[in-house]
Amino acid sequence: MKKMLTIGGLSPHAVKKALLVMKLTFLLVFVAALQVSANVSGQGRVSLTLKQVEISRVLNSIEKQGTYRFLYNSRLTTIRKKVSVDVTDMTISELLKNMFNGTDLTFKMLENNLIVVVSNSTAPQDIKVTGTVTGASGEPLSGVTVSVKGTANATSTDNNGNFTITVPEKGTLVFSYIGYQTQEVAVNGQAVITAKLAPSTRALDEVVVIGYGQASKRDLTGSIVKIDGKEIADKPNVNPVSSLQSKVAGVYIVNSGDPGQQPDIRIRGTTSIGQVHPLYVVDGIFQDDISYLNANDIESMEVLKDPSSLAIFGVKGATGVIAITTKKARAGQTIINLNSTQGWKKLVDAPKFADATTFKTLYAEELANTGITTPPNFTGLDANTDWIKAVTRTANFQTNNLSISSSTDKNKFSMGLGYTKDQSVVNHIQLDRLNINLSDEYKLNKFIRVGTNLIVSRTHNPYIYDDLGDVNGSNVLNDARQVVPLLGTGTKSFRLKNLYGTDTTNQNIYPLAPTLQLAGVVNPLLKLNNEYNKTIDYTYRYVGSAFAEINFLKYFTWRTTVYGDISDQNKRQYRPTYYAFDPVSLAIQVQNPLTSVQEKSVTTRKFQQDQILTFKSIFNEHSITASGGFTTYYLGNFERDGKAVQGTYGPIPDDKRFWYITTNFEDPATAIASGSQYEYTTVSYLGRILYNYANKYYLTGSYRNDGSSQISGPHRHQGFWAVGAGWELTKENFMASQHIFDFVKLRGSVGVLGNQNTYDPSTGLAAPYLFDEVLTAGTVTPFGNTLYSAAQPAYKPDPDLAWETVHAQEIGFEANALNNRLHVEFNYYNKKTENLMTVITNGALGIFNEVTNAGSLRNWGEEVTASWNQRLTNDLSLRISGNITFMKNRIEALSPLLAGGKIIRTSQNNGQQASYTQPGYPIAYFYGYQQVGIYQSQQDISSSPDASAIGTYHPGDFKFKDVTGDGKIDVDDRTKIGDPSPNFIYGGSVGLTWRHFDLGVDIGGVHGNQIFRTWAALESPYQFVNYAAFQINRWHGPGTSNKVPQVNSGERYNYQGSSYSIESGSYFRIRNVQLAYNFDTKMLAKAYIKNLRIFANVQNLKTWRHNSGFSPEFGGDATSFGVDYGKSSSALPMITSVGLNVTF
Amino acid sequence: MKQSTKIFGMIASGLLIVASFSCKKFLDRKPLQATLQDVQAAQGTLEAQSLGLYYTLRTYAGFSSLPWIDMHSIRGDDAAKGSDANDGKEVIAEFETFQYTKDDWATDTYWNDHYTMINLANAEIHIGDSLKLTDPATLRELGEAHFFRAYSFFELVKAYGQVPLINYYFVNPADGIRPKSSIDSLYAQIDADLDTASRYLPLSASEYGSNYAGRLTQGAANTLWAQTHLFRKNWDRVKSLCNTVINSGQYSLLPNFYDVWKDGVFGQGKNSSESIFEMNAYAGVNAQSIGSQNQGQDGWGTAQQVRKDGAPVEWNLGWGWNVPTDTLVAMWDNTDPRKNMTILYSGQSDGGSSQGGWGATLPAYSDPLGSTGLAEKYWNKKLYTGNDPAQRQATGFVGGSGGAPWIDHRILRYADVYLMLAEAANELGDGATAESALETIRNRASGNLGLTRTILPHIAFTSQAQMRTAIKKERLWEFAMEGYRFYDLVRWTPASDGIDALTVLAPLGYQARNQYYPIPQPAIDISAGVLKQNPNY
Repeated sequence: MKKMLTIGGLSPHAVKKALLVMKLTFLLVFVAALQVSANVSGQGRVSLTLKQVEISRVLNSIEKQGTYRFLYNSRLTTIRKKVSVDVTDMTISELLKNMFNGTDLTFKMLENNLIVVVSNSTAPQDIKVTGTVTGASGEPLSGVTVSVKGTANATSTDNNGNFTITVPEKGTLVFSYIGYQTQEVAVNGQAVITAKLAPSTRALDEVVVIGYGQASKRDLTGSIVKIDGKEIADKPNVNPVSSLQSKVAGVYIVNSGDPGQQPDIRIRGTTSIGQVHPLYVVDGIFQDDISYLNANDIESMEVLKDPSSLAIFGVKGATGVIAITTKKARAGQTIINLNSTQGWKKLVDAPKFADATTFKTLYAEELANTGITTPPNFTGLDANTDWIKAVTRTANFQTNNLSISSSTDKNKFSMGLGYTKDQSVVNHIQLDRLNINLSDEYKLNKFIRVGTNLIVSRTHNPYIYDDLGDVNGSNVLNDARQVVPLLGTGTKSFRLKNLYGTDTTNQNIYPLAPTLQLAGVVNPLLKLNNEYNKTIDYTYRYVGSAFAEINFLKYFTWRTTVYGDISDQNKRQYRPTYYAFDPVSLAIQVQNPLTSVQEKSVTTRKFQQDQILTFKSIFNEHSITASGGFTTYYLGNFERDGKAVQGTYGPIPDDKRFWYITTNFEDPATAIASGSQYEYTTVSYLGRILYNYANKYYLTGSYRNDGSSQISGPHRHQGFWAVGAGWELTKENFMASQHIFDFVKLRGSVGVLGNQNTYDPSTGLAAPYLFDEVLTAGTVTPFGNTLYSAAQPAYKPDPDLAWETVHAQEIGFEANALNNRLHVEFNYYNKKTENLMTVITNGALGIFNEVTNAGSLRNWGEEVTASWNQRLTNDLSLRISGNITFMKNRIEALSPLLAGGKIIRTSQNNGQQASYTQPGYPIAYFYGYQQVGIYQSQQDISSSPDASAIGTYHPGDFKFKDVTGDGKIDVDDRTKIGDPSPNFIYGGSVGLTWRHFDLGVDIGGVHGNQIFRTWAALESPYQFVNYAAFQINRWHGPGTSNKVPQVNSGERYNYQGSSYSIESGSYFRIRNVQLAYNFDTKMLAKAYIKNLRIFANVQNLKTWRHNSGFSPEFGGDATSFGVDYGKSSSALPMITSVGLNVTF
Repeated sequence: MKQSTKIFGMIASGLLIVASFSCKKFLDRKPLQATLQDVQAAQGTLEAQSLGLYYTLRTYAGFSSLPWIDMHSIRGDDAAKGSDANDGKEVIAEFETFQYTKDDWATDTYWNDHYTMINLANAEIHIGDSLKLTDPATLRELGEAHFFRAYSFFELVKAYGQVPLINYYFVNPADGIRPKSSIDSLYAQIDADLDTASRYLPLSASEYGSNYAGRLTQGAANTLWAQTHLFRKNWDRVKSLCNTVINSGQYSLLPNFYDVWKDGVFGQGKNSSESIFEMNAYAGVNAQSIGSQNQGQDGWGTAQQVRKDGAPVEWNLGWGWNVPTDTLVAMWDNTDPRKNMTILYSGQSDGGSSQGGWGATLPAYSDPLGSTGLAEKYWNKKLYTGNDPAQRQATGFVGGSGGAPWIDHRILRYADVYLMLAEAANELGDGATAESALETIRNRASGNLGLTRTILPHIAFTSQAQMRTAIKKERLWEFAMEGYRFYDLVRWTPASDGIDALTVLAPLGYQARNQYYPIPQPAIDISAGVLKQNPNY
């Protein structure tokens, strides 16, 4: 026993310490049991002289005399008290009584001369406490961290809000939970503790991820918004970022209706003319896209917007950062969670196109207008099809997730399995994804922690109808609206030779678009229904990391993290051969007469390592956290493509077995391969300091230097920095007497951030080599039948290129008032982007595109966020929050090399949809003529300014405004006709909790932007398409319309980009309505269920808008966005879903 | 504890040291693909860049597809847009009836692509000059660059009149903005370039190697040069250059007119002895299904093949552009054998192999929309002759996947040398030479029936005016829909015989200002006022 004590007393080793605690507890119990029956025999005598030694030493000396043995907890502080002893032949009990006099020590004599020394005042009586944690309105809170103050001992509540923890009876429990105020409760011997947490509109001491570390939000000088993973987990969106729409001030999101497509997301405006989307940092690794993540695996998302939090991301920080933390096991329990959602997607408010009657009326008129007297032949064209309806459906959305997590003192483990199915409202287009998530963290000892994290996903990519992945979405809807309504959607049976054999069978085949619209217009059903299931396209992605964290010298932490992200896309596409028929002549046509196979493989590898040293200390009133380190990043992308056509055996069978390049069904002479590849690296050094004095004055500073392999010139290494300051007013004496404000903090920061734009000037895609004269791939020249390699530069390199920089400032305040029920936050931001990486596209000069640095643009605005929480009755509580962001954008200057001084982005066949980026104007504004009416008559034309410089025109054509007032209308009369950037965006939510019910309504909207609609305005001259329904209001004689021109696609005068195409982009939407019911936990306990929640949700319930497209949301890139091409990305459906969440 | 701290410290500083040493190496990464410098270093010549110019010629629509056809052919009275009434409606206004536009895909592309070629040639010449390479291969390649620059400027000066003279290599885009230069200075540049080209280029393409048929030769430079002088009425230079080409002994007229347009499997009919310069196109086996082996890029051949509309699918040959006009058909004597070799009639036999056909009968014309048949009465048979069914099968452009991207564009052909010679000689008062040169063309057109023939009879010189009119007419028949007619009419304006643009094209809406197309608005916009629009637009 003595030996045991000694070990316990001296070893610093944590393991042994734990043992001691257990054994000591056992002993104390044992002692207590013995007390009753023990014979007290303390009559032995001792003699001893010692000066100023610890009591333990005295006891030790007594033991050495041989009679008595002592048992005590060596951690008792009073045992170290120094005493002087000078006794001769005194009874042991008397000696101890004297010596312990004035201390909290007492003793008990046991048998065999064993003496137990205990402290009577702080008897470490650990007791077991159970309890429940609820929110203000009594709803159980799960996952609340319950810790013993001043110790590492912690657990978390289960889904009923219940917890059990062992605690010293005089200890204090600390309850902390994201979104709630941290609460401390003194145990004072209570065995059951119920904590009711007040929701915090501002969790002041909430820990937020800030890049290369975490910090208490209180210590920061910028605005960081944290979104709980719960808020996005039950929303029917595959890409978790989509769910942030209208939720966060300063974050403008345009969602896509295509499964798997990223939303267009811009934080605090359009900060560049290149890349505008934010950087995603997922558990530390840098990503451009997080569509591989399962929303259910997300613990929290932090939106970083201000310079003081972004400078640490250096060359990638300028566009803002969304930091994502995935779920890890919570302390102290095993949780099995099952989550399932079923949803139905439906296209609502689709645009209307001409029906059969309208079409015939307008077409006859059009032919007459173009001088064609032959009546059209509509044989076989007797349908009245709503083509949008014909290619769309009520689609299904589904997620199922299972997660298991468990933790002990040393090990935290969690795993998750998820399945997501997302169908497009467009027939047959569907995305499926399987996710596996594993994380484990192990505490080697008190100083070293190691862990790994792995996310594996398998995505079954949706079928791409157009071959080319167009950011504006699939062409199915665009094709559908183009087909004349006279064409039926059905198939027709023909007796035909089997294309895959020699027999003849009855086959049901689809019609082609009628001859009258042969060029470029297709029957979308023909291709979609014959080819949608001939593509096997999977992306496998493995994102993993491992870290070791070492604490040393009390204040230091060294953290090494290595990350790997390997993505493999494997695509096999089979081109079947099939029949189609001409709906008029009933002639049969073979589509794709030769079957072929295409294989594609894209491998992307990313490796990142972070080495970070952190110093953290508090002395007196000074608190300092300083970090420094370095990080490297590698990205490689390798793509291989192969194709082959059928050989002499005939068609490659319509069987997945043979959908490979080499199966012996191919003609080897046709088998060809191609590929493309690039890689780049960065090496960076970084440092950051967070300082505060007395939790009242805050200072932060950060610096990062990035070296980039993409830059070989003088600007290879660039530095970025930020400093910030904060002042917590409510800590000042002069604020002490007021009772309105609970918390007020003023803050501001300034810094320089970087934007690692990567352009391919010719395609707008990432071009990793801007400094070398790379060649256009596959350039050849034939002479006769011999092909020779030729060289054509892909673009013009600029040897002096540097990454663009953003000079950013933020100033703001946040305040809690009225007993923390009201929270208000205000920020003013100003960001000036310098050295814009500008694509010089000078086709009219006959030169290749290049990227140079020059020009600047500015984004500035105000963000206001407010929220109110109130408990109305015992059963009813209310949460209201809202945010609004006023945003402005102006191009300050552009590269002098940019001939014409502006960036002109045009689209449509004749380049008449123009987006201009020009100094003094907002980015990508719409440029064209101002329509003031329609020429009603020849007399109207003669009495109006001459417009013949634009083209030949007649009554029924557009009347444009003479902007210059020079009496004629020509190209100089083109002007700004719209701006795709909103003046302000806003969002809000109302939450009501009544007993077990929970109702949440989210709203949002944008205001003041315009949309450029290209369809039914700027059709290609090479095709003839169906009319929009509103064209029935066309001009067809004096006085019939002053807005919609005559139907005459030969009159190209009307195909000028003008305000006729401009529609208001403002909208207000009920984004989300959710009703949930939390079952009574007592009832559930009988079924061994800890928690059960069911909910119903409607997303995009109703949108009030002014434009005629599928929705008011049109994304794009920096210098061309907000254009309605009639494609599927804007076809945002209403999604109704129901789900359940059960925890065991 | 202390010791472990030391160890950590050592590891940390070690990592930092390793990091800073390997940092440079980690960051030094060359492209994982060839750069222009890599290619030049591997070849030691300008070969790759030179071949890139042919790539530009073939793949840029301004040289090889609709914009070229619009500017050159559809503006003439011999050719119309074709296709059907719903397709490319605006082209009727812009090119058939002279309601020129300032901003349109076709005209913008035409301008941009020619300046692209000029700048690519400038870059090659710049590198050649700075490397001071004088080996025969490099000189030939420089000759090609000079040819393409001259070719592009000539096309521009014909289309727009005064244009910016960019005859230098520049890095800064602003240096590419220049006001218009005078037509004289543009021609001076053309002369200088063609002088260089005619000296540097080889006499025969075989000097490049064994499989280079169709690559530029001295003959091409001299023929183009003669054309440029023809437009300036430098008759003696035209005459001497034509004689140089004839005397080179490199070229001969093919016995059958239709053989000029044969373009079959394995390159049969391409780069014939009558072809002085041809844009070479290629489509490999199963090119339609493979895609990337379709090197013709659809432009030239596909654009001008019969358009299906309401006809059976085997007539889905192309887009159906550049078709004969009623005027051409009506005024053309049926006895001229070239007529049936140039005009393909809807609803009739293609004439079979004796007339360059393939033995098929075309579906009938139905109406301008082609509701139940073809939408045009006539089609361009010169291209149809290149539509070898065997080649169509081999390349896979069949059924719903129509197109004819393998067909070469005969840009300079030997027949033009004779007609240029005839015209120049006649203007110089050398009636005998004019008569003989004209006869060469007419005799071949008749099927080499000799002087006693009754069709396309020999035309004896009686007066300069008589011969001039005869040559003008001959050019129309010989070159119908080949893109000569509009510019011929313009350069003959005004003419006492009434064969000039103002007279012939006036019913279509032509006015004097239509000699030049307006400069595309984007080019004006980009110059910020430096480049001025053409007069009267």
